[in-house]
Amino acid sequence: MKKTLSILLTIALALSVTAALAEPVAVKFAAQGDSTPATQAVIDAFNASQEAYKVEWVDMTNDSGAMREQLTTSLKAGSSEYDILSLDVVWAGEFAASGYIQPLDMMLEDAGLNVADFNAGSMASGMYNGKQYVLPFFPDLGLLYFRTDIVSQEDAAKLVAGAYTWADLLAMSEKYAGQGGTTAGFVFQASLYEGLICNANEFTSNWKDIKGGLEMMKQFVQSKATPDNILNYTEGETANSFVKGESVFARNWPYQWGVIKSEGTITTDQVAVAPLPGGDTVGGWLLAINKNSANPEGAFAFMQFLNSEAGQLIMSEQGGYLPGLNKMLTDERIMTADERLSMVGFQNALKTTIARPVSAEYSKVSDALQQAIYPFLNGSAEIDATVTAVEAALAQ
Amino acid sequence: MQRRMTWKEFCFILPLLLLVSVFSLYPIVSSFVYTLFDYQTNKQSKNALYTGPVLNASLYAEDCDYLVHYLKKDVETVDASDRATLQTMMDTLAGQHALYADEKSTVTLSGDTGSQIAALIAQTRRTVETLGARYPDLRIVQKAPTLLDEMETCLITGNFVGLSQYGTLFQDTRFGQAVGSTFLFTIISVALELVLGMALALVMDKAIRGIGMVRTTALIPWAIPTAVSALIWCYLYDGTSGIVAALFTRLGIIASPELLLTTQGGTMFAAILADVWKTTPYMALLLLAGLQVIDRGLYESSAIDGAGAVRTFTSITLPLLKPSMLVALLFRTLDAFRVYDLIAVLTKGTPETLSIYAYKMMIGQSNYGYGSVIVVAMFALVALIAFVYVKVLGAELIRE
Amino acid sequence: MTTIPLTQPIPNRKPRPRGRTLMWALIAAFIAVNLFPFLWVLVTSFKPGSEIYGAETAFRLIAINPTVGNYRTVIDKGILHSIVNSVIVSGSTTLYVVLVASMSAYIIARCFFRGKVALMSLILGISMFPQMIIVGPIFNMFYQLKLLNSYWVARAYSTITLPSAVWIMVAHFKRIPLSVEEAAKIDGCSQWQTLWKVIFPMAAPGVFTTAIMTFIAAWNEYLLTLTLNSVKDYQTVPVAINALRTQFSILWGEITAATIVVVIPTLAIVLLFQKQIVSGITSGAVKE
Repeated sequence: MKKTLSILLTIALALSVTAALAEPVAVKFAAQGDSTPATQAVIDAFNASQEAYKVEWVDMTNDSGAMREQLTTSLKAGSSEYDILSLDVVWAGEFAASGYIQPLDMMLEDAGLNVADFNAGSMASGMYNGKQYVLPFFPDLGLLYFRTDIVSQEDAAKLVAGAYTWADLLAMSEKYAGQGGTTAGFVFQASLYEGLICNANEFTSNWKDIKGGLEMMKQFVQSKATPDNILNYTEGETANSFVKGESVFARNWPYQWGVIKSEGTITTDQVAVAPLPGGDTVGGWLLAINKNSANPEGAFAFMQFLNSEAGQLIMSEQGGYLPGLNKMLTDERIMTADERLSMVGFQNALKTTIARPVSAEYSKVSDALQQAIYPFLNGSAEIDATVTAVEAALAQ
Repeated sequence: MQRRMTWKEFCFILPLLLLVSVFSLYPIVSSFVYTLFDYQTNKQSKNALYTGPVLNASLYAEDCDYLVHYLKKDVETVDASDRATLQTMMDTLAGQHALYADEKSTVTLSGDTGSQIAALIAQTRRTVETLGARYPDLRIVQKAPTLLDEMETCLITGNFVGLSQYGTLFQDTRFGQAVGSTFLFTIISVALELVLGMALALVMDKAIRGIGMVRTTALIPWAIPTAVSALIWCYLYDGTSGIVAALFTRLGIIASPELLLTTQGGTMFAAILADVWKTTPYMALLLLAGLQVIDRGLYESSAIDGAGAVRTFTSITLPLLKPSMLVALLFRTLDAFRVYDLIAVLTKGTPETLSIYAYKMMIGQSNYGYGSVIVVAMFALVALIAFVYVKVLGAELIRE
Repeated sequence: MTTIPLTQPIPNRKPRPRGRTLMWALIAAFIAVNLFPFLWVLVTSFKPGSEIYGAETAFRLIAINPTVGNYRTVIDKGILHSIVNSVIVSGSTTLYVVLVASMSAYIIARCFFRGKVALMSLILGISMFPQMIIVGPIFNMFYQLKLLNSYWVARAYSTITLPSAVWIMVAHFKRIPLSVEEAAKIDGCSQWQTLWKVIFPMAAPGVFTTAIMTFIAAWNEYLLTLTLNSVKDYQTVPVAINALRTQFSILWGEITAATIVVVIPTLAIVLLFQKQIVSGITSGAVKE
């Protein structure tokens, strides 16, 4: 009796051990919902590619501010409920400084990867105290969209080559506004929110010419070539105006190309993109590993897969995301899948990307910058006081 | 004749006491403790309550490991005479790494361990600087300075600051502005709610037919979540497609539609209006309940005395309504004073009231120490308001 | 000193016709202002995205191309599931809060003990404390107990709902005359029997009112769910609606459709239980 029992126990134990061995380790990936199938597809492909790990997507809220708060509250408590974190580019400095994420240098070296292989702006956003904390999830950048059916060929050539200034753009906006059924020359993001910082970053050439850049921005605001309520414009208003054919020029992210295709009254044949005069602000998302993760190897394996040729192809073909792996930008398959990359203006813009300030307390910096710049644009503050306030905010 | 409390009765209130202690008292007491520390969760030297010297062991071990990693290759490339120096450095650092590698977070520093570590960091820095003159391309020469800086931050001296953060409060102009905004919001919205609520209550008191309909519609704004109603107003106020913003512009109340959600004055106006819309019915119902217990006979005798409507209102209705009115006002004032959901959803944080400022400080900037100071200050103001209502104006909350 | 001329009629409490018209006009204005936002949200929810922005179409009462697409999208995005979550969380909160509140309110209303005023003041004081302060410590507690992302969030709701529940219940128990209890005792009922067979049935309307008020308060909670349940599967209505805002734009079509969907349960509660709600709002506030 006793013997049978012990045999049975041994068998049960052996079975459970083999079961445990066969069972892949779950790796939790915290990311926002994706309106495209790409994220799920890349997870499925990774899970199918090996047997050791199984990535599980934890669907986070689409409200970025709320997501950041959820992540910091969780990480602050030392939680390991997520292994892989997707981070907005501007959060990486804070997360690294707080000790919430782990540096990847050793893992990158072991995997034979170099920082220079990946999108420069994305990687720079996650470099803190000399350590590299992130890999790209997908990069994003500010672009100038313009109407090829309105703008003259000569001006178009200048735009695509990036051989123009903000003053030139203002002159062109005023010249073309009203033509071809448009009501506005240029639309951009000047509402009181993070987008204002992205735009100001471009107007001031990465904060090198604060006074000139902000004065130029105000000239745009006051110009008849921008809508009267431009100070309320976010990406939504911008895209709406441009895709309905109401404006000649628009500053927006690459996603607007898809909006033109899906709901535009204009077609993509009437549109081209160009680099912005002061550089193109990098946006998008990054991948990092929770410091308390029990499976950092699994997490890194997924991040490496997403940033491999196979992963990048899925992200591009199924979701239209820009490759974070530089060599894929000129890859035939991706250029076929993503027609935007075949545009000269787009490739030029990718060469002039600029990052927003990298700070351990980015939200504080951004908050101070918004509070300094917006009152100047709406006429309730003077330029000198504004420049002082902006410089103070950047020095934080 | 009331019973005395025995253990049996005590069992009845025990669940209440437990829930209150765990979910209310414990967090509140924790916050008071936080105010005594420079507690900032996004700075590794301040991310817990440290009363004495500690070492951020996990980061320190990680940095040692980085240095060892760079040294491994460097040892091969330097001249034989320098090799021993680097080898010693590497061994020492590897020893330190091994010592602390298994620590998850911080360890308490005892004796002179702290000063030994400081000396080790300084020693390494000097060696690297000497080498740097001859081997500028060494990885250790390029990488060590930032890493050593970071290692110095691992020696944490403690962040107990006593009451000093309360002192900071008095010089904080942003706090002053937040107090101003909060009082402005509270006074204007509660005053409007009182006047409109009173008018509505008087009307409802007279109109017997149709009162059900009014009551139902009155309850809807109150019953839906603030986070949802704020979102509705956010849409109505929108600068490009908001109908209320467009209407106000047409009426000349604002110069252009986007001002409502983007300027200081505009957001204050917008928030007050949304709050008045949501809570006036609530105020009206409270006042109506008060009106309905006033003895009707009093009105009749007042009428016989020939008093007009105004006179009746000021000499009978108001004095008799005072107790209900004060309680209603007290509840509303305290609610308005703590306004958070409405402003957070409507404008993501302007006008910056005390709750918003505290939330931005704690969650946005991870500064729990100073954020808790703001909350405690807020609580003091709340207590003061309650005190004024109860002791000065004579609101009766607890009746025995 | 004024004397009343005998010829003057005694003023009737019924208002004069002109006053009546004014009164009804006021009532109509009130109802209009109260309901307008909902009506406008309803109107917008049937508009396609292209008509919501843009000066010509944004203010049209009837959509040019009316669509139910917004409703379909929010239902696909799981708004109904978040309503179910809200019902589960608010329902379980209501159950235990009402139980705990009735038990303790009975003792508070009926017994004499030292520190009673202190206890009531403490409960009142807690309800006045700024809410966000409890979020951090409660998160840590839930994390350590492994209760994050679950319906256990209901447990933390006691902070916001318990004080007012106790308050309302005390007011209701006090209204039950002590003589009833004494009569029951004389009839030979034990203390328990008195409580279950006599007092609770008499307090039923109060219990019901408390339940409704607790349910609504839990239904409206935002900050705790936002922090404790980051996973969509467990998010309640207020959080789920706000999550419809995306990085680049606010999709008003979806938000308005979702608003209509989630206002329906609230509307039902208000219509069915308005008497209890009014009694809940006013208990403790009116001196009788």
